[in-house]
Amino acid sequence: MIEVVALSKNRGGKRVLEDLSLSLAEGGVTAVVGPSGGGKSTLLRCLNGLEPFDAGGILIAGHQLTPGGHPHALLERIRRDVGMVFQQFNLFPQMTALENVMLAPRVVSRLSAAEARSRAVGLLERVGLDGFAQARPATLSGGQQQRVAIARALAMQPRVILFDEPTSALDPAMSSEVLEVILDLARGGQTMVVVTHDHALAQRAATHVVELVAGRIQRQGSPAEVLIPAVGSG
Amino acid sequence: MRGIRAAGAVALVALTCELAPGALRVVAADLDAVEARGELVWAADQEGGGPHVFLDPKDPRRLTGFEVDLAELLASELGVRPRFQQGQWDRLPLLLDRSVDCVINGIELTPERERDYDCSRPYFAYALQLLARRDGPLDSFERLASPGPSGRWRVGVLTGSAAETVMRSRSDLEIDVIGYDGTIDSMEQVVSGVLDAAVMDDCIFNFYADRFAPLRAVGRPFAGGYYTIISSRETPALGRAVDEALGKIIADGRLKRIYDRWDLAGRQQILALRDASEIPVASRRSLRQLVASALPLLLASAGMTVLLSSAAFPLAILIGLSIAIGRLHGPAWLRPILAGYVEVVRGTPLMLQLYALFFLLPKIGLALPALVAAILGLAINYSAYESEIYRAGLKAVPTGQFEAAMSLGMTTWQTLRHVIIPQAVRLVMPPVTNDFIALFKDTSVCSAITVIELTKRYSVLALSTGRIVELAVVTALLYLAMSWPLSVLSRRFEASQEGPH
Repeated sequence: MIEVVALSKNRGGKRVLEDLSLSLAEGGVTAVVGPSGGGKSTLLRCLNGLEPFDAGGILIAGHQLTPGGHPHALLERIRRDVGMVFQQFNLFPQMTALENVMLAPRVVSRLSAAEARSRAVGLLERVGLDGFAQARPATLSGGQQQRVAIARALAMQPRVILFDEPTSALDPAMSSEVLEVILDLARGGQTMVVVTHDHALAQRAATHVVELVAGRIQRQGSPAEVLIPAVGSG
Repeated sequence: MRGIRAAGAVALVALTCELAPGALRVVAADLDAVEARGELVWAADQEGGGPHVFLDPKDPRRLTGFEVDLAELLASELGVRPRFQQGQWDRLPLLLDRSVDCVINGIELTPERERDYDCSRPYFAYALQLLARRDGPLDSFERLASPGPSGRWRVGVLTGSAAETVMRSRSDLEIDVIGYDGTIDSMEQVVSGVLDAAVMDDCIFNFYADRFAPLRAVGRPFAGGYYTIISSRETPALGRAVDEALGKIIADGRLKRIYDRWDLAGRQQILALRDASEIPVASRRSLRQLVASALPLLLASAGMTVLLSSAAFPLAILIGLSIAIGRLHGPAWLRPILAGYVEVVRGTPLMLQLYALFFLLPKIGLALPALVAAILGLAINYSAYESEIYRAGLKAVPTGQFEAAMSLGMTTWQTLRHVIIPQAVRLVMPPVTNDFIALFKDTSVCSAITVIELTKRYSVLALSTGRIVELAVVTALLYLAMSWPLSVLSRRFEASQEGPH
């Protein structure tokens, strides 16, 4: 599903990703952990072409990414298959929760309003927000906003979803709401890559854990192999 | 928004002070003060052109014309030196309250002027001349009574001149009368085909006939009258002295020598002046009569102001937003071009842009109707400002919004259209409303290209009725009545935005 081969990236003369190779299977949940500034988010943003890289290659959901820039059309095709959920949710503030979820199916997949609506209603239900379709993002809690953001990503029926620190901006109660949704998706066989410093999340959700330190893979394997149990994580 | 309201009130007060005869006025000096000063200050509009007062083509630093000669002669009769004061022609009489002693510039003797100013005996007899293209269909004055090949005849005149009054009063003719600020503007426009004909004082046409070779006089001069020297009613001794001096130089032949030098049919002139009949003086109307007669005209022109601004502003926003998007997201080669457009448009006056659209485009075969040129000019001028506002607005939308939309597979354009622009539009609502109100008032500049909007209508009415203050108040109230709802709307919008997010 995702093959990363000898990926390297420089930023401002500094190497942020160094000769990184990974192979992630379909249906698995990969947690990428490690200290801040270790290149976790950068790796994730390379996977859907939000950032270019300098050497190596990425094969994701059947699409090939090469060093340097890419044509818009290729990036748009990749992103239809690779969803993304952000630390700060990035919901569209002028739209209701329902409209946030409906937008991409309408304008990218060109679904009819009725189809997009029924898909969005189903997804909001799936993330436990059936009563909040008409709410604006600003009136929702952080946990609710993040769940709308997940529903929004799911609406494109992506083959992979990338999570960039999905619970870092949330308090523990709200984090667990989001974790429940991620676990539910994992049970449904959704391929996911989760960048997180939340080891509890990694422990419970991941099938595979990659630890990045200073742009290199320090360790990878099952959660039990990589994660040191309960060392100051929460 | 409170600031705008306050600014409106200040503008109203300023306008009233500016024009009130009693307030803040520098009264022109009477004869004794003129003599003490040793200078007779006379006003004219050098843009009005020849043969009256114009810049010598051989020495553009020098003012020349038969009225320059006349002013010199009169001043020397009074034992003083002449000093020229420039003013816009249709507002010259206003200068009489501003330390100008008299106006000598083809001012026609009318009952209204006799009522409002101290008018000298006539110094020149003119008649109106109809002129048209040699190769055009207009070959007699009578043809104006029925529509031409392309509908009503379009006839240019000098705004505020007798030609305008006479032609506008001829409801029996199939003509649209269009007023211009400069004398020869209408000749240019006849040559370029924007107008079918022009009407002006015969002496002006005679003077410029060689320069405008494609034009010919159609029929004989008609509807003649006299030029008079006007001074303020508050300087009666000066008025008398000027009148007497004029009488003397007519009697002893010195005026005729000036007219001979300027080839202005000296003998015919002097006979006409000798036989000039008295023109009855107009009576002053009550305030109610004044408002009743002026208000419909002012309201109609207010409609033009609304039309100009409500047509120009959406266009300005459309162009401005496109430029902002082009500069932020367009191809690299396009960005410096758009930046250049903004700098050029922002760095040149609106008036000049309107002139270019209206007077220069016809020279390359693109004659725009005045209304279209006015709307386009305002839209282009404001598009530069709007583009800067929208550029700031687009940049103020967080990058995360872009990334979220792109990560859903949306194209740049889809992202802009559905996610970024709606947010930017909300962010820039207050400055954009502000600009709409500014544009609304800038429409007054369009009178330079013959569009009669509220301010222009005001100055014409104020001048013809002499009721400067009363009409200024009515006009200012009309402006406020129109801009007020805009302020209210924008306040409401802001309030509704402060709610949810």
